[in-house]
Amino acid sequence: MAALQTSVPGAAQAPTERPRVKRKRTVGQRFRHDWPLLLLTLPAMAQLAIFFYWPSAWNVIAFMDYSPHRPFWENPIVGFAWFGRLFSDPYFLPALGNTLKFALAQLAFVFPLSIVLALVMHSVVSTKIRSLFQSVVYLPYFFSWVLVVTVFVQMLGSDGLVSNLLLQSGGDRLTFMTDGDSFVFLAWMQWAWKDAGWGMIIFLAALASINPSLYEAAAVDGAGRWKRMWHITLPGIRPVIVLLLILQLGGILTVGFEQYQLQRDSVGFGATEVLDTFVYYRSIIGPQSESFGTAAGLFKGVIGLILILIANNVAHRLGEQGIYQKS
Amino acid sequence: MATPSDGSIFRRRSLFKAAGLGAAGAAGLPFIAACSDIESGSGTAQVQTGFDFLPEYKEWKLPLEPDLVGEPPNHPSGFTSYPETVQAVTDLPSGTGTYELTVPMWGEAPSRDDEYYATVNEAWGGTVVHLRHSDGNTYAETSQQWLQANEFGDAIQIFSWMLYAHPNFRETVVNSFYDLTDLLSGDISDRWPLLASLGDEVWARAVWSTDPEDPESARIFGIPGSMLGGTQNAMFYRTDLLEQLGMEVPTTTAEVLEVARAFSDDAAGKWAFLGSDWLTPAWFGLASGDGWAYIDGKLVHNSERPEYTEWLEFRRILHDEKLQHPDIASGTLDTKQLFKAGTSLFQQDGMTFWSEYTDWVNSGEAPGGIGTLGAIAVEGRTPLVHAKADVEGWVFLNKDLSQEQVEELLDVANFCSAPYGTKEWELLEYGVEGTHFNYGEDGTPVYTDLGVSVVQAPVNYKTFSGEVQKFLTGPPAMVQALFDQNAALKEYFEEDIWAGVRVEAPAAFTAAAQNLQDQENDVAYGRAELSEIPAMVETFLNNGGEEGREHFTAVYESLHGE
Repeated sequence: MAALQTSVPGAAQAPTERPRVKRKRTVGQRFRHDWPLLLLTLPAMAQLAIFFYWPSAWNVIAFMDYSPHRPFWENPIVGFAWFGRLFSDPYFLPALGNTLKFALAQLAFVFPLSIVLALVMHSVVSTKIRSLFQSVVYLPYFFSWVLVVTVFVQMLGSDGLVSNLLLQSGGDRLTFMTDGDSFVFLAWMQWAWKDAGWGMIIFLAALASINPSLYEAAAVDGAGRWKRMWHITLPGIRPVIVLLLILQLGGILTVGFEQYQLQRDSVGFGATEVLDTFVYYRSIIGPQSESFGTAAGLFKGVIGLILILIANNVAHRLGEQGIYQKS
Repeated sequence: MATPSDGSIFRRRSLFKAAGLGAAGAAGLPFIAACSDIESGSGTAQVQTGFDFLPEYKEWKLPLEPDLVGEPPNHPSGFTSYPETVQAVTDLPSGTGTYELTVPMWGEAPSRDDEYYATVNEAWGGTVVHLRHSDGNTYAETSQQWLQANEFGDAIQIFSWMLYAHPNFRETVVNSFYDLTDLLSGDISDRWPLLASLGDEVWARAVWSTDPEDPESARIFGIPGSMLGGTQNAMFYRTDLLEQLGMEVPTTTAEVLEVARAFSDDAAGKWAFLGSDWLTPAWFGLASGDGWAYIDGKLVHNSERPEYTEWLEFRRILHDEKLQHPDIASGTLDTKQLFKAGTSLFQQDGMTFWSEYTDWVNSGEAPGGIGTLGAIAVEGRTPLVHAKADVEGWVFLNKDLSQEQVEELLDVANFCSAPYGTKEWELLEYGVEGTHFNYGEDGTPVYTDLGVSVVQAPVNYKTFSGEVQKFLTGPPAMVQALFDQNAALKEYFEEDIWAGVRVEAPAAFTAAAQNLQDQENDVAYGRAELSEIPAMVETFLNNGGEEGREHFTAVYESLHGE
């Protein structure tokens, strides 16, 4: 008599179900598998290593009494002495204050201007007018600061076009280009002319990615121009705005150099001294050692990193993507 | 004639012994008042006399005697006639090397293809020296970086006034440049007779010490430029424009203001002054250089003296009464062109501007004529005129050159040391006859247009090494005027309290002084009030000024045995 078959045919031969273990590949295996990809990244890695990581490693001289004329290992370690000298310099805090002032002015008055320009540009339907508008606001970005300052001096300087017109009509010369008190306004005009158009480009790209059918549907539902901007356009480009805002915060202590350096003599160092010019006049062409300048650079970098991390954290808490996607 | 310094009033050993500084030595006084463990940038001092390793002085007899005999170096002799030139270098070396020499250039750099360069290269024996021109306006500052990166070609020219931008120059010199001592020590008159005749006083100014702790480590590191003396700068004025005003040449600060007020018309675009920042301190009796004067038994900085406020008040008047160009603060004006155009009456400049403008007038390029204001002082005070006898600079050779290459460049230097009256000097100074200059009716060379743009450039082969003796030369009327001026001014020349020592100030002092200068400009250009002067002086003294006083006092006491 055949035994009662209680099990599913073939089941006895089936292998026991084991948890699937993902075998970890060795470095060698991964290298053999991925070498074409690694090869592709090699130029970028080399570029980063040579021009970024290697120079960054030299930040260590901020803690040394460094001289380029002796072997690196013979430079004495001085701890935070250069930072002490930096913070006790009577012109460091004013330079830091000016830097923050210009950075906040850029954030408050140039950053939104780029968004406004992008929105205006986006709303222009005529291709011809759009091209013209784009050229007018975008072209000055390619001018050097020397040219920008020269144009301003020629136009608004004490012996410039406007001053001479004013003189001819019985007025007085403009002192606009030599007045330290109004330098922030002057700087804003220069940023607006030179940089706002460039800032607009990224926002334009973000605007282009918004689905047009959203506008159509909103229009059908009776939403006007302002409502469509408020409820569709601005939310559509919000991730880009937040991303750029965070990046700007990271570079808050890097407000530029040439613009301030070129106008330093005209306006006075009190109004134009920012951290970068401070380092330049103290360390690069000044009497203080390279270590002093490096300490100032490191200070800027650390502050920038902290601000980026804080801003990114805040962005994540508010549900934004930030500078990377939180997994 | 440059004379050896055996008879100098002090010796380098006694200098430091007197100061009780022992082994601190000739290269540098001990570092004073450093920030915690930081030792760099604390200032140094290098004595410039008493060396026994300099080239042995052998007189090279000048081919002719000057027409105007002065008392060099502060009252140089001059020539009002142009002589038959003679050959100075008779034993021509044969050079095959090609070298790059970095030099400052003010204005447009001439083309390297010009005949001048090839002709000169051939004349000195075939060695090719390419000039790497760099903007003279920023040269002092930027050269610091090239030197540290060893990116200055085979040689570099540094003028002595540029050292303000090189705070650790001793360290740069001994680490970047070729040590010439072994080649130049002793009798070099066989191969380099002109270099041998420069004299100890000149060669001692090319000495730096390799080890600040060891007085015996002093070495020759540079080829010195010409020994200059007397006034090197002046406030020039347009003689024709002053005549039009019907006014006399001013002699006091009040008269200067009177003339300036008469000339200036802001609405018409005429202002008496373009710049007044670096020349006018002397009018108020302020010290030159780092600004220290020895008064009542101690060193006093310019900023601590009442004359300092008077000087800033004067500059402020120029601003407030619109007696200077409104855009002068920008530092971007082409002042020479504005002066030439008659936009301004005065121009502060180096003495070479006199011959430059005279050449423009002679070639019809500029109107009128120029003269210099003499000794200006506040009414009732004895004038002070800044003047200093020193080499104009150095050419330093790269330490990576081989001995043969250095010898070849010293051959070139020997050629360039030929003085006035030699064929070498004429070639270097005026170029090729018929191309760069022609002889005028009185036999004096006159530049052609090409000569003006290529050879008259303030820096080229002419300044490769110092001339055996530097004379006043050029248009006869100008030479006579310059000679007379030095004769008239020499009684007012400032006493050089640092004669015999090269002082490098502490970094903190230099930084504070730079800020003080910025603040002076704020006051002068109406960006700050005169009432802020005491506060800015206090900031200066507390943040480097006092450290500077300590350092300079130590040097002064060592030097003067007090």
